[in-house]
Amino acid sequence: MANKPLFIVVCGDGINCERETAFALEHAGGQAQTVHVNDLIAAPEMLKTADGLAIPGGFSFGDELGSGQILALKIRHKLGDKFFKMVEAKKPVIGICNGFQVLVKLGLLPYPDAPERILALAANEQGGFINRWVTLDVNAKSVCQWTKGLDKTQIELPIRHGEGRIAFKKGEEQKEYQALIDQGLVPLTYTEDVNGSYGRIAALTDASGMVLGLMPHPEAFMFSETYRNTHARDVAKGDGALIFDNMLRVLKGEQSHERRAG
Amino acid sequence: MGAAVRVEVTSQIPDRRLEKWAGQAREYFGVPLAALEEVKVYKIAPVSPANDLESNVAKVFADPVLYLAQMDGATYTFPQNPAFVAEVTYRPGVTDNPARSAEEALALTGLQAVVASGSLYFMFGTLDAAGAKKVGRELLANELIQKIDIWSYDEFLKLPRFTDVKLPKTMLTHAPKVEQVSLELHDKELEQLSRDRTLAMTMQELHHIRDHYRDADVQALRKKQSLPQSPTDVELEIFAQTWSEHCKHKIFAAKIDFTGADGKTKTIDSLYKTYIKRATKEIQAERGIDWLISVFSDNAGIVRFDEKIDLCIKVETHNSPSALDPYGGALTGILGVNRDILGCGLGARPIANTDVFCFAPPSMPEKGEEQFMPVGPKPPRRILEGVHKGVEDGGNKSGIPTVNGAFFFDRDYAGKPLVFVGTIGVMPPVLPDGRDSAEKKLNLGDRIVMVGGAIGADGIHGATFSSLELDENAPATAVQIGDPLTQKRMADFLLEARDLGLFSAITDNGAGGLSSSVGEMAQMSGGATLDLGLCPVKYPGLSPWELMVSESQERMTVAVPPAQVKAFIELATLRGVVATNIGAFNDSGRLDVYYKDTLTGSLSLDFLHNSLPQMQLKAEWNAPKPRPDWSATTELKAKRIPAPDVKTALLALLASPNITSKEKWVRAYDHEVQAATHVKPFAGSKADGPSDAGVIWLQPHGGASDNAAAVGCGMAPRMSPVDPYRMAQFAVDEAVRNVVTAGGDPDTLCLLDNFCWPDPVVSAKNPEGAYKLGQLVRTCEGLYDICKAYGAPLVSGKDSMKNDFRGKDGRGQDINISCLPTLMVTAMAKVQMGASVGSGFRDAGDHIYLLGAAGSGLAASEYAAWFDVADDNGPAIDLAKNLTLYRQFNAALKSGCIKSAHDVSEGGLLVAVAECMTGGRLGAALTVKGADALFNEAPGRIVVSVSPGRRAAFDKALPAATLIGQVTGDDKLLVDGANIALADIVAAWRKGF
Repeated sequence: MANKPLFIVVCGDGINCERETAFALEHAGGQAQTVHVNDLIAAPEMLKTADGLAIPGGFSFGDELGSGQILALKIRHKLGDKFFKMVEAKKPVIGICNGFQVLVKLGLLPYPDAPERILALAANEQGGFINRWVTLDVNAKSVCQWTKGLDKTQIELPIRHGEGRIAFKKGEEQKEYQALIDQGLVPLTYTEDVNGSYGRIAALTDASGMVLGLMPHPEAFMFSETYRNTHARDVAKGDGALIFDNMLRVLKGEQSHERRAG
Repeated sequence: MGAAVRVEVTSQIPDRRLEKWAGQAREYFGVPLAALEEVKVYKIAPVSPANDLESNVAKVFADPVLYLAQMDGATYTFPQNPAFVAEVTYRPGVTDNPARSAEEALALTGLQAVVASGSLYFMFGTLDAAGAKKVGRELLANELIQKIDIWSYDEFLKLPRFTDVKLPKTMLTHAPKVEQVSLELHDKELEQLSRDRTLAMTMQELHHIRDHYRDADVQALRKKQSLPQSPTDVELEIFAQTWSEHCKHKIFAAKIDFTGADGKTKTIDSLYKTYIKRATKEIQAERGIDWLISVFSDNAGIVRFDEKIDLCIKVETHNSPSALDPYGGALTGILGVNRDILGCGLGARPIANTDVFCFAPPSMPEKGEEQFMPVGPKPPRRILEGVHKGVEDGGNKSGIPTVNGAFFFDRDYAGKPLVFVGTIGVMPPVLPDGRDSAEKKLNLGDRIVMVGGAIGADGIHGATFSSLELDENAPATAVQIGDPLTQKRMADFLLEARDLGLFSAITDNGAGGLSSSVGEMAQMSGGATLDLGLCPVKYPGLSPWELMVSESQERMTVAVPPAQVKAFIELATLRGVVATNIGAFNDSGRLDVYYKDTLTGSLSLDFLHNSLPQMQLKAEWNAPKPRPDWSATTELKAKRIPAPDVKTALLALLASPNITSKEKWVRAYDHEVQAATHVKPFAGSKADGPSDAGVIWLQPHGGASDNAAAVGCGMAPRMSPVDPYRMAQFAVDEAVRNVVTAGGDPDTLCLLDNFCWPDPVVSAKNPEGAYKLGQLVRTCEGLYDICKAYGAPLVSGKDSMKNDFRGKDGRGQDINISCLPTLMVTAMAKVQMGASVGSGFRDAGDHIYLLGAAGSGLAASEYAAWFDVADDNGPAIDLAKNLTLYRQFNAALKSGCIKSAHDVSEGGLLVAVAECMTGGRLGAALTVKGADALFNEAPGRIVVSVSPGRRAAFDKALPAATLIGQVTGDDKLLVDGANIALADIVAAWRKGF
């Protein structure tokens, strides 16, 4: 593994968080190459050489036909296997907000091999876009490599979405939810009900733990300067930075450090 | 062409928005609509016969969990049958974003098709046909841009909706043609001509053109060019757009004879030059300011607050469109001001939006009062919701955080709402190729390239239309919907092209379309020629004049050196952006407009831009005239009650629309995308206390790590009827105080002035014109004086001059509504990171100080809007004292001896303290007494809290501060004998609307 793992950060077609997402990956010690989705389609071999990939937040295709739907179609039909191979190769992939919606629409979360999708990200229960800060429980039992061994049991991040509510196929909610929990595929949950998400699910991972999709924005809390209050919090690192650091540690083969006692 | 099919998409998840609408139908319109269900409709016309259309449709529209996509034979099962079914579709030619996206999506699955989108609404309940129609018109559709059909459920079931699928066809009744329009007419006929063509030209202007065409040399040249003797419609329209009040700001440039309070008459040669530009030039010289990079010359003002990056800022208004189609009007407004930033210098990247709304109260009209409201503008609640949604989509879908704004409610905005939208942008001082990013340098021979969407009839006459007062017959073409995705793609592409050095100048296509953008840029080279026949069109049939003045959205005009044209257009194509080479810049001294190689118009640039005679106007202001109430004779009229006790008054004010928390609305805006928002709209222990300004950290934008910029706004329109001079100063002071309170350095202030005025030109139908212009003069004098006193330059501004409604009310009676003369001021200042403290109290035991004198006078206050008060003058302002205070305050903030700070504005001192309590969920005990002291809105005041340990340092830093009480741990407010529970204060403040 290169000492500066290379992440492709997808942009274009209405994605709008590519700058801060690329910054976050570089701040964590990786390299970020921001690539327009059309350039990626023109030269998909980039995906082979890259060590990881990020689909940032935004409003791809204006959220028409359901958030993430058209970008997912574009990736499936224009990149297809070249994209899915990246996941099969267990390279780290993160989808934030709209990127999460894309990964779900692509069927990569939570079960890449399932014949049909069991869940979706639906419109918030309160029926609109909301920008607020949330507290998240970090699931220590999750297989997610991005959050494994975070030295915090709770983190704070902002959410900024209109369609972030996990909804399962009708009638199978409890069963499917329990299955996700049992397999450790739910790395983050909201400490309160913010959008009607089933089981307060805020993020999902796959069995490999290398794919992370989350509605909250880790790239928006890298420093205390962008914390929800200008005062009352002076940390060297924002909670979002911890997640990127964590994956970079994994890629560099470093031991994810022990959870501090208490 | 394959047969068109119809797809109906049902959501499997209940939609709260529909529940809300049903509730509103019952609440506002008294229609017994028990429930509402929506089904999205897509009509798909394959370009070539499709073999596997079902699978394409399934891939694009269906979702195993969320969406059921049904085609022929779609069935619905309801617990009980709906009473009515409504189908809402876009009118021909109106931007249909879902359809545009569906076409792209289908193409990805291999199906080329034309798509039209719409919605089916199933209405449940005991409503009748009239009720269904009311719901359809008021809630489901805007008939200016949408078509609505309503059927009973039985009728609906019999429709051949799957077998006979028709897409809306945009058919222009006329073929493209060029008319010659003779101006050799009597004045009455000229007036008629101006009205019929929505030229909004004065007789003086029409005569000016007529005389120009009578000139022998002009005629000789026209002969040579084989152009008709009379102006062509293309030429006439270019004059109308270029000379419109909206584009030319004739009133601010006019020669005004002003008679003031002293009875003396003075002549003012342009308000703009005399008060606005002069203030900035003098301040720049006196203070030796070197950080004003570009002011008044470009699409936006450019300032240097950082060694590594420059900031540009612009605020626009979009009032008339927002009155007719609140959503589309606000959306195109915010996207439009974003383009001003994209077109500033060689292009800047938008990093923040601001928005200020002036509406009639959302509770107006109450039940049974509808008939007293003006016919034409949407009801206040509809305008509020539509405009808010437009700003939400415009900002969120563009990835630009909305960091600051305000809602102001007053009945005088019932005729025309005011919608102010602003954008801050960032640009590197020097581009990768070494060019100065602030400087457009157009070269002879550069090609004229139009970038962005295709041209349609939408947005024709926006500029001239907004230069007229509103009436029932406003043209629907002036209304349109924006397309954030197309603009986002264009913005990304243009900034990429900028850094690659692919163009030499750029400007946006706003008001007046190509006629304005090319007309303005042509001045840089001294001429231009273009062929409108090359422009991409939404549909055939548009005449050259329509192509020339259409304000179809998401377009920029760019000057591209011939050697770069290929690379520029190739990159555009790769980014999914349309770029078209339509002409060239030259030094012919003329603007030559061809259509398919035929010359359709040729104008002298000098005549077009420099010949218009200065407007001559009369103005007077010697004393305030009583404020008229357009609703005085109706149930709508303002209702005031005798002043109650302190507790009742405070809780009433906290819950009033102008003061109560707008959190529900503001959190629908993404305020922290781009990860640089340092001070957010709401903060405090429960994140629901109000912030005074937005603060943007500049490091994420390439600036220094300890550097930030604060942006805030201020206005005091209720002072206009009392004293327009003070109104201007209160507006500036509030904007300044907001940014200073949030940590802004008062020695790095820059200001923007946005005037929204009722018609200030005296005429038979507008007898008060001279007084209104007098108010404008006094406002400009007040603005000039406070800018000079604060040493704060104006870097950009705009004015909108006909914010009146002249028409009928619901009873068919004549009704005139003029907006309150409104100056909205935006302030931006440099912030040292770490200086900002929140507005909420932090710890029990801290001392509460009032900075600035107590002040006196309740006139024009929020208190006076609800309760009877004797005062008719209002508070005074002390400019010198304020500036000293702000400087001392800023030093104290940096030294860390201030724990919280909140500006005193609507509602006065006690409301400010109540908001500080809400932010920190703490109590307070105050020594201040009396309604005047507690509720007056005197400017220049800030409430701060200081920990006992820092008190000595604070007293030294701010000797003029007055100790007014203490923060307490018991959850109540003790003031003037009253004991008010914190819970009651929080509840009232959070009530919202």
